[in-house]
Amino acid sequence: MIKFILIVNKLGQTRLAQYYTTGLSINKRVALENEITRRCLSRKDKECSFLEFRDLKVIYRRYASLFFLVGVDEEENELGILEFIHCLVETLDKYFENVCELDLMFNIDKAYMILDEMALNGNIIETNKKNIIAPLHIIDQVSKKLK
Amino acid sequence: MSMQVRDLIKAVRGCKTQQKIREVITRESALIRNSFRKEDKINRPRNIYKLIYIHMLGFPSEFGQLECLKLIASPSYIGKRIGYLGLSILVKENQEVLFMSTNIIRNDLSSEDRYIVGLALAALGNIGSSEMLRDLAPEIEKLMESESSYLKKKATLVAIRTIRLVPESVDRFIGKVRTLIGEKNHGVVLTGLQLVLSIVKTEPETIVKFRKLVPGLVRMLKSLINSGYSSEYDFRGTADPFLQYNILRLLRYLGEGSKKSSKLMADILTQVGTSGGITKNVEIAILYEAVLTILSIESDSKLRVTAINTLSRFLSGRHNNSKYVALNTLLKAVNTEPKSLKRHRKVIVECLKDQDISIRRRALDLVFGIMDKQNVESLTQELLDCLPKAENEFRYDITAKICTAIEKFPPNDKWQIDTLIKVLTIGGQYIRDDVSSMMTSVIGRNPDLQYYTSKKLFNILLNDRYRNQTFLQVSSWVIGEYGDILMQKSEKDGELITTTQALDLFQILLESSRTTDGTKYYILTALIKFSTRIEGHDELIKKIIKPYREHVNVELQQRACEFFLLFDYSEIRDPILDRMPVFVEKEIELEIEEEISENNNKGMNYNLQENTHTIQNQINNIQNIQNIPNVQNTQNTEMNELLMLNTDTKKTQTQNKQDSLNFLKEIFNGSSSSNTNNMNNMNNNMNNNMNNNMNNNMNNNGGQDLGLDLGLGLGLGLGLGMNNQSQRQNQNKMQMQKQQNQNQTINQNKNQNQNQRQVQNQSQNKSQNQNQNQNQSKVQNQPIIVYEKNGMKIEMNFKVGNIRGAPAVMSIIKTTNSSPLLISNYLLQVAVPKTLKAQLSQPSGQNIPPNGNGSINQQLQIIKMVNQKTQLAILLRINYVINGQKIVENKEVSNIPIIF
Repeated sequence: MIKFILIVNKLGQTRLAQYYTTGLSINKRVALENEITRRCLSRKDKECSFLEFRDLKVIYRRYASLFFLVGVDEEENELGILEFIHCLVETLDKYFENVCELDLMFNIDKAYMILDEMALNGNIIETNKKNIIAPLHIIDQVSKKLK
Repeated sequence: MSMQVRDLIKAVRGCKTQQKIREVITRESALIRNSFRKEDKINRPRNIYKLIYIHMLGFPSEFGQLECLKLIASPSYIGKRIGYLGLSILVKENQEVLFMSTNIIRNDLSSEDRYIVGLALAALGNIGSSEMLRDLAPEIEKLMESESSYLKKKATLVAIRTIRLVPESVDRFIGKVRTLIGEKNHGVVLTGLQLVLSIVKTEPETIVKFRKLVPGLVRMLKSLINSGYSSEYDFRGTADPFLQYNILRLLRYLGEGSKKSSKLMADILTQVGTSGGITKNVEIAILYEAVLTILSIESDSKLRVTAINTLSRFLSGRHNNSKYVALNTLLKAVNTEPKSLKRHRKVIVECLKDQDISIRRRALDLVFGIMDKQNVESLTQELLDCLPKAENEFRYDITAKICTAIEKFPPNDKWQIDTLIKVLTIGGQYIRDDVSSMMTSVIGRNPDLQYYTSKKLFNILLNDRYRNQTFLQVSSWVIGEYGDILMQKSEKDGELITTTQALDLFQILLESSRTTDGTKYYILTALIKFSTRIEGHDELIKKIIKPYREHVNVELQQRACEFFLLFDYSEIRDPILDRMPVFVEKEIELEIEEEISENNNKGMNYNLQENTHTIQNQINNIQNIQNIPNVQNTQNTEMNELLMLNTDTKKTQTQNKQDSLNFLKEIFNGSSSSNTNNMNNMNNNMNNNMNNNMNNNMNNNGGQDLGLDLGLGLGLGLGLGMNNQSQRQNQNKMQMQKQQNQNQTINQNKNQNQNQRQVQNQSQNKSQNQNQNQNQSKVQNQPIIVYEKNGMKIEMNFKVGNIRGAPAVMSIIKTTNSSPLLISNYLLQVAVPKTLKAQLSQPSGQNIPPNGNGSINQQLQIIKMVNQKTQLAILLRINYVINGQKIVENKEVSNIPIIF
């Protein structure tokens, strides 16, 4: 099961955070994000993409200036999650056309929607890019009409 | 007027410091709050949007929670969308507000717009609380049968959450599985598989039922592999890997424990396990899941070997990620597939040299996992080879593993010592705590190796003086302890090791600025031991010790002073500095095992516990010393003897009868007579000394490096104890001298005579003890009636044994009632001399029925705190109510046939 999905930039600033567990106060959450990010950023390219953190496994991957971090429990297939991260990036890329940090910042709602289409409750639902983006396109069309 | 979202983000981005960001956010938060108060509907979505951003930056946003509710209740989709987003991010932790949203969500779930239903489902799936999900379960169930696959998969995921939070609802969803898995849409099938998994995990009995799915799942997997199920879900040339590995995972659960199901999936697993390449991450992910399944289900040995081989292929590949998962999986298979694992030893050892610390760590665990009696020597060598190149953090891990290996599979003691020395020299300061104690215990029990070890350590020291501190400490202890053997034998062998050389070396080490004070303690102790081991060097040793009497470090100064004084009392010097007794192996092993299991968390406790061992020894010593002044006072002697219960048995036994009662009574009755005062003073003294010792030891240990302490607590700690002993003795002597000055009656000669007498006594005791030991084995196991009155009878039986390595007496106390009256409020209290420690278990009841129709049982454990022969004496205080009368009675039990 996925416990959280984080997108941070290379300075360690959180750009998107989705937690599938409860019970984290703001302070704890910020501390956790800082700690994990710090550890991930300090890792070298040649090291593997997994990090053991408390009772979690953090799987991370870097795309240009953005780091994608996914925290999972013991049972999850680490390599599968790497593939999921890739799928997420490709989907974001497809929707935003060459996604960058600013796209995420200014369209955080859309980013969250994409994430919600792909994973819910720590489980993966959909990995087909077209299916994921379809509802977003509909919203975009509706809001264009409204304007 | 609050700003646009875009402007806020830009403003925050423009801030140079965290302080500036805080200012911007505080200002904006105030504006948003204002706007909420004014019920500004138009700006509400925008404000929530901003709050989401603010929340992500780690600033408070609770005031927006109710606004989210208002937004999801609004009719527009755009408002709902932001509202639900806010709900799942801002309101997540606030159960009350969440619960308030239940009805709005219920409405949205029955909306005609499927995207609105989708929003509600997504929110439920991410944040739904158990109450909400219980309330909404019927709606969710209905939506799982919806026409639209978009809603179906989301509803299924909400069902998974429901099962997790409300396990009793599981039955509701079991029936839905088959249709979900039969769907064409991959998303639906994927969520269906995950639903089965969560059902199976919550309700393991359902596995049998779900085994019927196996053939279908196998077919699905086969078509995915062979034909590329659907081009929509193609991932870099592999058909829907997520679906593939989820099927494999479900098969794992279904195949576990069922030969029949395992057989059904064997073919497809072989196909997956052998056909897939290992160049792309996707392929490896599926292969990895297949291997996990093969190893978990009841597959035949051929398939298992293939799985292990596949993992070995991962290890020799280029991808670090696959190496990591392979090592992890192999670790899990260590116990089930040891043979096939050992065949891949080479590849595993190779991973020890990987650049990635996570991989090296795993490999280390695995190397340790495949270690056995046959390969321990070569594998340990491999680990030692890695040691010099390893970074400090990893070094510690390696030395720890080597030590455990040494304990677990030692081919012989010489190898053990050689390896330990290597660890000490190469490992630097990153050494597991008990290396030193292991070293000392191995040497202690192998007289043949004492010369070998001390010579080896000496030569290493001679060639390179600036080793790490742990090494210096261990080697100075060993050389000090076995100095005589080293000198005698090396002379015979024609080796050029002389006492002056050793003393010179110690002096250089003492004077070196690179030697820490902690190490200097050991060197000083080694020096003083040398004085008893080898004759004729007293003056030189004195000369070396002398300057340290004024050393700035108090502990060092104290030691130097005490050691220096010790030269004047050669009679007591020898017994004090006598060779350490051989450690009882069992005890050490036990402690090490416990330490491994509890590992780091409780390391500190162990430290303490081990110290208590030494403290107990010290108490023993203190008591011996306290004998001295008391000999002068005949009145006190008896008491003292009683307290120690250690003098010759005849005397004690006669005196015991009266005095132990006196003494024990004091425990209950407090002090009144002068005797008692003395007693109490003495006890206080003892306690003070104990505390002092404890503090001292703690300080010693709390000092520089924890790494050392544990080891020393056990091994060298005894050496320390010895020092403290001498230290106490000196202190006592000083006190005595003071007394003497005051009294002006006793001269120092007498004092020394007493010391002599004490030494003699000790040796006498030794021989007596041996006799008693022999007698002890015949200890009766028959119960003794200790009390009989008013129809109540208390019986005790005694058994000698061990508790945590300390000699102890276990006793069962049985109380019966043969009177025609009920005995109620029964309470038994027990007191024993201070040298013992009694633990009384809870009684099996408080009331004893009349006419022998029942009994109360209680267990008593008496642990010996002091390493001395002790005559067991117990005082019981019996409280009970019979016939409405409250009775309290003291009863002394002294006819126990146990001396231990």
